[in-house]
Amino acid sequence: MKQVSKDPFEAAFEEEEDESPAVAVDAPQQDDDDDYDEDGIDIQSSAADPSTSTAAPTSTPRIAAVSVAKSHAKNKDDDQEEEEEDNMDVELSKLPSAADPAKMAKMQAILTQFTEEQMSRYESFRRAGFQKSNMKRLLASITGTQKISVPMTIVVSGIAKMFVGELIETARMVMTERKESGPIRPCHIREAYRRLKLEGKIPKRSVPRLFR
Amino acid sequence: MMYGFGDDPNPLPESMALVEDIVMEYITDLVHKAQDIGSKRGKLSVEDFLYLIRKDLPKLNRCTELLSMNEELKQARKVFESDEEKLRKVFEADEEN
Repeated sequence: MKQVSKDPFEAAFEEEEDESPAVAVDAPQQDDDDDYDEDGIDIQSSAADPSTSTAAPTSTPRIAAVSVAKSHAKNKDDDQEEEEEDNMDVELSKLPSAADPAKMAKMQAILTQFTEEQMSRYESFRRAGFQKSNMKRLLASITGTQKISVPMTIVVSGIAKMFVGELIETARMVMTERKESGPIRPCHIREAYRRLKLEGKIPKRSVPRLFR
Repeated sequence: MMYGFGDDPNPLPESMALVEDIVMEYITDLVHKAQDIGSKRGKLSVEDFLYLIRKDLPKLNRCTELLSMNEELKQARKVFESDEEKLRKVFEADEEN
Protein backbone atom coordinates (compact mmCIF):
# COMPACT_ATOMS: atom_id res chain seq x y z
CA MET A 1 0.00 0.00 0.00
CA LYS A 2 1.56 3.25 -1.05
CA GLN A 3 1.66 5.83 1.67
CA VAL A 4 1.59 8.97 -0.35
CA SER A 5 -0.11 11.58 1.78
CA LYS A 6 1.44 13.22 4.77
CA ASP A 7 -1.04 11.60 7.12
CA PRO A 8 -1.74 8.28 5.54
CA PHE A 9 -3.31 6.89 8.64
CA GLU A 10 -5.60 9.82 9.19
CA ALA A 11 -6.59 9.78 5.54
CA ALA A 12 -7.33 6.09 5.75
CA PHE A 13 -9.42 6.62 8.83
CA GLU A 14 -11.44 9.40 7.28
CA GLU A 15 -12.17 7.37 4.19
CA GLU A 16 -13.32 4.59 6.47
CA GLU A 17 -11.70 1.92 4.42
CA ASP A 18 -13.18 -1.43 5.11
CA GLU A 19 -10.05 -3.44 4.95
CA SER A 20 -9.95 -7.02 6.01
CA PRO A 21 -11.04 -7.47 9.58
CA ALA A 22 -8.72 -6.96 12.44
CA VAL A 23 -5.56 -8.87 11.93
CA ALA A 24 -4.89 -10.48 15.23
CA VAL A 25 -1.18 -10.84 15.23
CA ASP A 26 -0.77 -12.96 18.27
CA ALA A 27 2.59 -12.08 19.56
CA PRO A 28 3.39 -12.98 23.11
CA GLN A 29 3.20 -10.13 25.53
CA GLN A 30 6.71 -8.88 25.23
CA ASP A 31 7.89 -6.13 27.44
CA ASP A 32 9.73 -3.49 25.54
CA ASP A 33 13.03 -3.01 27.19
CA ASP A 34 14.38 0.36 27.97
CA ASP A 35 17.63 0.30 26.14
CA TYR A 36 17.81 3.98 26.25
CA ASP A 37 21.05 4.77 28.01
CA GLU A 38 22.71 1.40 27.87
CA ASP A 39 21.25 0.79 31.29
CA GLY A 40 18.82 -1.88 30.27
CA ILE A 41 16.48 -0.98 33.06
CA ASP A 42 13.06 -2.23 32.22
CA ILE A 43 10.88 0.71 32.92
CA GLN A 44 8.56 0.15 30.04
CA SER A 45 5.97 -1.78 31.97
CA SER A 46 5.91 0.53 34.94
CA ALA A 47 5.82 3.67 32.89
CA ALA A 48 3.37 2.28 30.40
CA ASP A 49 -0.06 3.68 30.35
CA PRO A 50 -2.44 0.92 31.45
CA SER A 51 -5.35 2.44 29.61
CA THR A 52 -3.88 1.98 26.16
CA SER A 53 -2.69 -1.52 26.87
CA THR A 54 -6.19 -2.67 27.63
CA ALA A 55 -7.72 -1.05 24.61
CA ALA A 56 -8.33 -2.93 21.37
CA PRO A 57 -7.59 -6.46 22.45
CA THR A 58 -7.07 -7.63 18.92
CA SER A 59 -4.24 -5.19 18.29
CA THR A 60 -0.83 -6.48 19.00
CA PRO A 61 0.70 -6.00 22.43
CA ARG A 62 3.48 -4.19 20.69
CA ILE A 63 1.03 -1.55 19.59
CA ALA A 64 -0.32 -1.20 23.05
CA ALA A 65 3.14 -0.68 24.33
CA VAL A 66 4.02 1.65 21.51
CA SER A 67 3.28 5.30 21.81
CA VAL A 68 0.42 6.41 19.63
CA ALA A 69 1.89 9.58 18.32
CA LYS A 70 0.55 12.03 15.80
CA SER A 71 0.27 10.12 12.62
CA HIS A 72 2.86 12.11 10.79
CA ALA A 73 5.34 11.77 13.60
CA LYS A 74 7.79 9.03 13.10
CA ASN A 75 8.60 7.29 16.36
CA LYS A 76 11.74 5.31 16.95
CA ASP A 77 10.98 2.07 18.64
CA ASP A 78 13.64 0.32 20.58
CA ASP A 79 12.72 -3.29 21.13
CA GLN A 80 14.81 -6.30 20.53
CA GLU A 81 13.93 -6.33 16.91
CA GLU A 82 14.78 -9.26 14.73
CA GLU A 83 15.51 -7.13 11.73
CA GLU A 84 17.29 -4.29 13.42
CA GLU A 85 19.28 -4.74 16.56
CA ASP A 86 18.99 -1.09 17.35
CA ASN A 87 19.03 0.11 20.87
CA MET A 88 16.95 3.12 20.18
CA ASP A 89 14.68 5.14 22.34
CA VAL A 90 11.88 3.59 24.26
CA GLU A 91 8.38 4.42 23.26
CA LEU A 92 6.06 4.95 26.14
CA SER A 93 2.49 4.17 25.46
CA LYS A 94 1.50 7.54 26.74
CA LEU A 95 2.78 10.67 25.11
CA PRO A 96 3.86 13.16 27.70
CA SER A 97 2.70 16.35 26.12
CA ALA A 98 0.46 15.31 23.26
CA ALA A 99 -1.63 12.65 24.97
CA ASP A 100 -4.70 13.06 22.88
CA PRO A 101 -7.19 10.35 23.71
CA ALA A 102 -9.24 11.09 20.62
CA LYS A 103 -6.19 10.70 18.39
CA MET A 104 -5.13 7.56 20.22
CA ALA A 105 -8.58 6.08 19.77
CA LYS A 106 -8.39 6.92 16.08
CA MET A 107 -5.03 5.26 15.76
CA GLN A 108 -6.22 2.16 17.54
CA ALA A 109 -9.25 1.97 15.27
CA ILE A 110 -7.05 2.23 12.19
CA LEU A 111 -4.47 -0.19 13.45
CA THR A 112 -7.01 -2.92 14.04
CA GLN A 113 -7.97 -2.77 10.37
CA PHE A 114 -4.53 -3.16 8.92
CA THR A 115 -3.72 -5.93 6.52
CA GLU A 116 -0.68 -8.07 7.14
CA GLU A 117 1.42 -6.13 4.69
CA GLN A 118 0.34 -2.81 6.12
CA MET A 119 1.03 -4.02 9.62
CA SER A 120 4.52 -5.17 8.77
CA ARG A 121 5.24 -1.96 6.95
CA TYR A 122 3.96 0.07 9.86
CA GLU A 123 6.06 -2.00 12.18
CA SER A 124 9.25 -1.33 10.30
CA PHE A 125 8.26 2.31 10.06
CA ARG A 126 8.04 2.54 13.81
CA ARG A 127 11.02 0.42 14.64
CA ALA A 128 13.47 1.79 12.12
CA GLY A 129 15.96 4.30 13.32
CA PHE A 130 19.56 5.30 13.46
CA GLN A 131 21.98 3.87 15.93
CA LYS A 132 22.74 6.28 18.69
CA SER A 133 26.39 5.27 18.81
CA ASN A 134 26.89 5.70 15.08
CA MET A 135 25.16 9.04 15.12
CA LYS A 136 27.28 10.20 18.01
CA ARG A 137 30.42 9.21 16.18
CA LEU A 138 29.26 10.84 12.98
CA LEU A 139 28.34 14.09 14.68
CA ALA A 140 31.62 14.19 16.53
CA SER A 141 33.51 13.72 13.30
CA ILE A 142 31.56 16.45 11.54
CA THR A 143 31.81 19.01 14.29
CA GLY A 144 35.43 18.30 15.08
CA THR A 145 35.97 17.05 18.55
CA GLN A 146 33.05 18.57 20.33
CA LYS A 147 31.26 16.58 22.95
CA ILE A 148 27.95 15.47 21.54
CA SER A 149 25.17 15.33 24.07
CA VAL A 150 22.62 12.55 24.00
CA PRO A 151 19.65 14.83 23.26
CA MET A 152 21.54 16.08 20.24
CA THR A 153 21.91 12.58 18.82
CA ILE A 154 18.23 12.03 19.48
CA VAL A 155 17.24 15.20 17.67
CA VAL A 156 19.47 14.63 14.68
CA SER A 157 18.38 11.01 14.37
CA GLY A 158 14.77 12.13 14.39
CA ILE A 159 15.38 14.80 11.80
CA ALA A 160 17.30 12.42 9.59
CA LYS A 161 14.61 9.77 9.77
CA MET A 162 11.93 12.26 8.82
CA PHE A 163 14.10 13.43 5.97
CA VAL A 164 14.37 9.87 4.68
CA GLY A 165 10.61 9.70 4.92
CA GLU A 166 10.16 12.82 2.86
CA LEU A 167 12.59 11.56 0.25
CA ILE A 168 10.96 8.17 -0.14
CA GLU A 169 7.43 9.52 -0.10
CA THR A 170 8.28 12.10 -2.72
CA ALA A 171 9.99 9.39 -4.77
CA ARG A 172 6.81 7.34 -4.60
CA MET A 173 4.82 10.33 -5.77
CA VAL A 174 7.20 10.72 -8.68
CA MET A 175 6.67 7.07 -9.53
CA THR A 176 2.89 7.39 -9.55
CA GLU A 177 3.16 10.42 -11.79
CA ARG A 178 5.28 8.47 -14.21
CA LYS A 179 2.95 5.49 -13.79
CA GLU A 180 5.75 3.15 -12.84
CA SER A 181 5.71 0.43 -10.24
CA GLY A 182 8.04 -1.81 -8.33
CA PRO A 183 11.02 -0.90 -6.21
CA ILE A 184 12.12 2.70 -6.11
CA ARG A 185 14.92 3.43 -8.52
CA PRO A 186 17.72 5.95 -8.11
CA CYS A 187 16.26 8.17 -10.83
CA HIS A 188 13.10 8.58 -8.73
CA ILE A 189 15.12 9.45 -5.70
CA ARG A 190 17.16 11.98 -7.61
CA GLU A 191 13.98 13.58 -8.91
CA ALA A 192 12.56 13.60 -5.39
CA TYR A 193 15.72 15.22 -4.11
CA ARG A 194 15.49 17.88 -6.79
CA ARG A 195 11.91 18.63 -5.81
CA LEU A 196 12.74 18.86 -2.13
CA LYS A 197 15.51 21.24 -3.04
CA LEU A 198 13.05 23.44 -4.88
CA GLU A 199 10.81 23.42 -1.83
CA GLY A 200 13.73 24.57 0.23
CA LYS A 201 13.86 21.61 2.56
CA ILE A 202 17.49 20.90 1.86
CA PRO A 203 19.97 23.09 3.67
CA LYS A 204 21.93 24.93 1.05
CA ARG A 205 25.64 25.18 1.17
CA SER A 206 26.97 28.64 0.96
CA VAL A 207 30.35 27.23 0.01
CA PRO A 208 30.30 24.73 -2.86
CA ARG A 209 31.45 21.24 -2.03
CA LEU A 210 34.94 20.48 -3.25
CA PHE A 211 36.77 17.19 -3.47
CA ARG A 212 33.76 14.96 -3.12
CA MET B 1 13.66 2.09 6.97
CA MET B 2 12.95 2.52 3.29
CA TYR B 3 10.38 -0.25 3.45
CA GLY B 4 8.71 1.45 6.36
CA PHE B 5 8.30 4.62 4.33
CA GLY B 6 6.82 3.00 1.27
CA ASP B 7 9.50 1.27 -0.70
CA ASP B 8 9.53 -2.36 -1.70
CA PRO B 9 10.26 -4.95 0.95
CA ASN B 10 13.54 -5.43 -0.88
CA PRO B 11 14.78 -2.05 -2.02
CA LEU B 12 17.36 -1.80 -4.75
CA PRO B 13 20.90 -1.59 -3.44
CA GLU B 14 21.61 1.38 -5.70
CA SER B 15 18.64 3.22 -4.25
CA MET B 16 19.80 2.39 -0.75
CA ALA B 17 23.29 3.64 -1.46
CA LEU B 18 21.93 6.81 -2.99
CA VAL B 19 19.60 7.49 -0.07
CA GLU B 20 22.44 6.91 2.34
CA ASP B 21 24.63 9.36 0.44
CA ILE B 22 21.92 11.98 0.36
CA VAL B 23 21.18 11.60 4.05
CA MET B 24 24.85 11.83 4.99
CA GLU B 25 25.18 14.99 2.98
CA TYR B 26 22.01 16.37 4.54
CA ILE B 27 23.19 15.71 8.06
CA THR B 28 26.61 17.16 7.31
CA ASP B 29 25.16 20.33 5.85
CA LEU B 30 22.70 20.60 8.70
CA VAL B 31 25.43 20.26 11.31
CA HIS B 32 27.65 22.78 9.54
CA LYS B 33 24.84 25.26 9.47
CA ALA B 34 24.07 24.61 13.12
CA GLN B 35 27.70 25.14 13.94
CA ASP B 36 27.64 28.46 12.16
CA ILE B 37 24.69 29.50 14.25
CA GLY B 38 26.01 28.00 17.44
CA SER B 39 29.44 29.53 17.13
CA LYS B 40 27.95 32.87 18.08
CA ARG B 41 26.77 31.36 21.34
CA GLY B 42 29.82 29.29 21.98
CA LYS B 43 29.00 25.62 22.05
CA LEU B 44 26.82 23.72 19.65
CA SER B 45 23.50 23.03 21.29
CA VAL B 46 20.21 21.35 20.58
CA GLU B 47 18.53 24.72 20.20
CA ASP B 48 20.62 25.44 17.13
CA PHE B 49 19.05 22.46 15.41
CA LEU B 50 15.61 23.42 16.57
CA TYR B 51 16.15 26.88 15.15
CA LEU B 52 17.24 25.43 11.83
CA ILE B 53 14.13 23.33 11.40
CA ARG B 54 11.75 25.94 12.74
CA LYS B 55 10.15 26.33 9.32
CA ASP B 56 9.53 22.61 8.95
CA LEU B 57 6.61 22.00 11.28
CA PRO B 58 6.43 18.19 11.23
CA LYS B 59 10.12 17.91 12.03
CA LEU B 60 9.93 20.54 14.72
CA ASN B 61 6.99 18.90 16.42
CA ARG B 62 8.63 15.53 16.21
CA CYS B 63 11.82 16.83 17.79
CA THR B 64 10.03 18.53 20.65
CA GLU B 65 8.08 15.36 21.21
CA LEU B 66 11.26 13.27 21.29
CA LEU B 67 12.92 15.65 23.69
CA SER B 68 10.01 15.72 26.10
CA MET B 69 9.83 11.94 26.00
CA ASN B 70 13.51 11.86 26.82
CA GLU B 71 12.88 14.04 29.84
CA GLU B 72 10.03 11.89 30.99
CA LEU B 73 12.16 8.79 30.66
CA LYS B 74 14.87 10.39 32.75
CA GLN B 75 12.37 11.22 35.45
CA ALA B 76 10.92 7.75 35.40
CA ARG B 77 14.38 6.27 35.67
CA LYS B 78 15.15 8.45 38.66
CA VAL B 79 12.01 7.37 40.43
CA PHE B 80 12.68 3.77 39.54
CA GLU B 81 16.15 3.85 40.97
CA SER B 82 15.06 5.45 44.21
CA ASP B 83 12.33 2.85 44.52
CA GLU B 84 14.81 0.11 43.88
CA GLU B 85 17.02 1.46 46.62
CA LYS B 86 14.15 1.37 49.09
CA LEU B 87 13.24 -2.15 48.08
CA ARG B 88 16.79 -3.30 48.50
CA LYS B 89 16.99 -1.83 51.97
CA VAL B 90 13.76 -3.49 52.97
CA PHE B 91 15.00 -6.76 51.56
CA GLU B 92 18.27 -6.58 53.42
CA ALA B 93 16.51 -5.65 56.60
CA ASP B 94 14.36 -8.73 56.18
CA GLU B 95 17.39 -10.87 55.53
CA GLU B 96 18.95 -9.83 58.80
CA ASN B 97 15.87 -10.77 60.77
